[in-house]
Amino acid sequence: MSTTVSSLEPLFTLVAQSYETLETTFYKIPGSAVIARYVKSSHRDDPGRTLLEVILIIFAIRTLLQSRTKAEASGKHFIDFSEKEIDELVDEWTPEPLTKHLDEVERVDLDSVPLIVGPSGPKPKLANGKSVLNLASYNFSGLQGNQAIKERCVDILRRYGLGSCGPPGFYGTQDIQLQLEQDIADFLGTEGSILYSQAFSTIPSVIPAFCKRGDIIVADRGVNFAIQKGLQISRCTVRWYDHNDMQSLQHVLESVEKERIKKNWPLTRRFIVTEGIFDHDGAMSDLPKLVELKLKYKYRLILDESVSFGSVGRTGRGLTELYNVPASQVDMLIGSVANGLSATGGFCAGSHIVVKHQRINGTSFVFSAAMPPMMTVAASEGINILRETPSILTTLQENVRAVRTILDKVDCITIPSHPASAVIHINVRPASPPPAQLLSPTPQSPALPASPMSPLSPSSAKLSNPTSVFPRHPEHFDMEQEERFLQDIVDDALAQGVLITRAKRLRGQELIEARPSIRLAVSAAMSKKDCEKAANVIKASCVKVLGKRR
Amino acid sequence: MIPSGTRTRGLNISSYNYLGFAQTRGGCADAVEACINRYGVSACGTRLEGGSLDLHTQAEALVARFVGQEDSMLCSMGFATNSTVIPALVGKGSLVISDELNHASIRFGVRLSGANVRTYKHNNMKALENLLREVISQGQPKTHRPWKKILLIVEGLFSMEGTMANLPVIMELKKKYKFYLFIDEAHSIGALGPHGRGVADYFGINPRSIDILMGTFTKSFGAAGGYISGSRALVDRLRLSAHTGTYTESMSPPVVMQVIASMASIMGISPTLSSSAVTPRAEDTIDMEPFPGKAPMAILPSWMPLSPTMVDGSDGSMRLRRIAFNSRYLNRGLRKLGFITYGCDDSPVVPLLLFNPGKMAVFSRMMRTRQVPIIVVVVAYPATPLVTSRVRFCVSAAHTKEDIDMLLTACDELGDLLDLKQGQGDRWPLKEIIDRAVELVNAPGDA
Ligand SMILES: Cc1ncc(COP(=O)(O)O)c(C=O)c1O
Repeated sequence: MSTTVSSLEPLFTLVAQSYETLETTFYKIPGSAVIARYVKSSHRDDPGRTLLEVILIIFAIRTLLQSRTKAEASGKHFIDFSEKEIDELVDEWTPEPLTKHLDEVERVDLDSVPLIVGPSGPKPKLANGKSVLNLASYNFSGLQGNQAIKERCVDILRRYGLGSCGPPGFYGTQDIQLQLEQDIADFLGTEGSILYSQAFSTIPSVIPAFCKRGDIIVADRGVNFAIQKGLQISRCTVRWYDHNDMQSLQHVLESVEKERIKKNWPLTRRFIVTEGIFDHDGAMSDLPKLVELKLKYKYRLILDESVSFGSVGRTGRGLTELYNVPASQVDMLIGSVANGLSATGGFCAGSHIVVKHQRINGTSFVFSAAMPPMMTVAASEGINILRETPSILTTLQENVRAVRTILDKVDCITIPSHPASAVIHINVRPASPPPAQLLSPTPQSPALPASPMSPLSPSSAKLSNPTSVFPRHPEHFDMEQEERFLQDIVDDALAQGVLITRAKRLRGQELIEARPSIRLAVSAAMSKKDCEKAANVIKASCVKVLGKRR
Repeated sequence: MIPSGTRTRGLNISSYNYLGFAQTRGGCADAVEACINRYGVSACGTRLEGGSLDLHTQAEALVARFVGQEDSMLCSMGFATNSTVIPALVGKGSLVISDELNHASIRFGVRLSGANVRTYKHNNMKALENLLREVISQGQPKTHRPWKKILLIVEGLFSMEGTMANLPVIMELKKKYKFYLFIDEAHSIGALGPHGRGVADYFGINPRSIDILMGTFTKSFGAAGGYISGSRALVDRLRLSAHTGTYTESMSPPVVMQVIASMASIMGISPTLSSSAVTPRAEDTIDMEPFPGKAPMAILPSWMPLSPTMVDGSDGSMRLRRIAFNSRYLNRGLRKLGFITYGCDDSPVVPLLLFNPGKMAVFSRMMRTRQVPIIVVVVAYPATPLVTSRVRFCVSAAHTKEDIDMLLTACDELGDLLDLKQGQGDRWPLKEIIDRAVELVNAPGDA
């Protein structure tokens, strides 16, 4: 004991000495006496305060010095190498190529993408000079090419120029952009709305703006890729319910509540995330039921209407109009200005609070240039046209019915889409069922897809696990083969003058691989006769390609 | 945001309009008008699902020429160009090395990719090299397996700092450490380099030695959206595997036209006799000029109205000269007045340091309430560190020397009032700066 004390003695003197020098230097600084007097008197009055102030100063210094981006610590797994060893390791290291070359299938895939020469529309011209009937491009209400919109755009070009030259917060906001936000809000009946300059980039910013780590999201297993990315960025706890199955949703909501009580989770924000009309199969959500459940279990509803806005409802307002549900019941209503109004960008409509919050927390709103004024005016004009001409949506629905009437009767395909959906997906019907079944007209013919229940989740069977994105009864299909058949149908239809496309997917990057399909997008700009003609061509191609199987 | 209902005309020194192409008149606007009348406003879909127009392939060929790469791909939003493409480049087992001040869109994309990320101190090449040595020798965390690949992402010109990526050193490091290089030229493309072709042009580096050049059309070209460019094989891969082609709406025709017209203006147009192909690809035209050459007539839309100043390139070269002059004049002028600014002399982004966050609002308001109001952007924590609050000017080719004089005058007055002139070095009085502007700009070095 005593030896340690004696060995520490020089240290003590050193400390005392340096303290003295420190003190004298401190008093040499002009104004230091004032500080010393202040500290002394305040310490005498209230010793606790000195402590508090010291802590405050330390905290302030730390905040100031802290680097804003912390490097990932290498931690305890760090191995010490000499410089020479590092040089050797650097020499030895060979990286993989940055990207893989396309394989043959992918090459063909890319080369078969149709190229439109001149304006897009119901009858565009292709690179080979032929005009085709277009059931591939999104132009639901036929606003593309509208003369009144063109004139408004030229007018704006001559007054505002094209680009907005900056993010909304940095003087990129112009009066007519705010006008479109107001127009969308008025059209839907919400308090406000906020514009993002690309439809796909809207929801991946909306979700993380509200949902943080620890919050709970209950999502449909069939949500589109953009929502999947939003969920990934938000890092919150996700529970899944079977695709478009309200019973499954209710079950999951109950199980979350039980889990919360059992694990004693704190009360957090909770959201249901789903789509109005699903991008990957055209099925439609049962909005009244969704609203009922969200109110009952105290969730907020984030509804992606990218497909349904501008394509269903009496004037194209989407699901809220179709089901007569006030849009204010949907907490965050996301739509696509690009698809729905034939311009560019997307929006999120909701209460003032929801909108304001995104003005500083919506990543792709804050850090991206505002929408070009011309595009916002095109969209505002589009809304006017939709309001004033309800016949547009009537025509669209008639066209949808015309196409469905023909395609629903085709045996070799199935159509999972809702009868009112302007996006129609076509799946290959598996060739396996015994011929006897094919002969008898069974009730499972595709005339019944209106039921919101997925046929794959009979409620009697065991339920899927909410923590896993995979359903208990996954669909089985031969992806490569089906894609090949579908592409053959697409090629055959194109040869007959009808432009359609397979639904393109990012295979390998999606949470669940969607079943291969052909995606039709019906437009009001096409005459009913042309729709029937196109549908008959598609029907013939399906029969021709799929009849040859086996 | 509530509109006040009143109108005020001011000097805008904040918008990203480097080359002044955001115009309501002139060759570009005429081309855009012709395009609206011909094409309408929408391309109606994604690139892979029936939204590909001839205009898109023409613009892609032109962009590739402009930046000096084999091929390029468009995306309808600059932010999404990063956020939807980076996940197709790297993933689990790869490492992204990122400058600490990289833009939010890059961070967004990297987070989606699932790759590991390491950051290094802004523009500090020594820190970068140390980090490279560490990560290559250590390999992946825990397993110590070698990284599949390492991607370095930097910005050509940093929009908050006005600093440029130190490309010559990075190219040296790239040779030694074998990482792939991704440069975000959102602010540098069009605005930097003797031909406006960005940082590679500025430093005289062959653009093809850089793996990926990304940029946006929102800034220099007065349009919207972005591009990604690189080798043909790389771009073809991205057309299929990046989220863009499958899921994002393709660029709308008038916006594409603005891109084509403004780029052609900068490049000048060379008449070619080869028949105009409908689907030109970057190297299909045989008689192509070496980089940085003119735009071959054959890859432009045949119906595009061409103004004489666009064809001979005089419009573009005048803009390039003006932005070069304005940038240097403002940077050097402010420093001669005694202000502290960040960044290099040729940067059109000029951050002037205010330091004290309390002075920000005062500065901004006093600028706005001058007789000729000046509209400025002030930036503070959390966009910048707490102690380096700043005001950021963005110079444009559309500013006249008188505009810059007026700005310098205003800064001079406010600088005295708010005690902002903390810089060291030689000071000139305002009048001398204005009178000897040309001499100041032409002085050699980064003085
Ligand atoms: C470096 C950088 N990358 C990307 C972007 C996004 O581009 P855009 O505004 O066109 O979406 C910006 C814009 O602020 C930027 O500064």
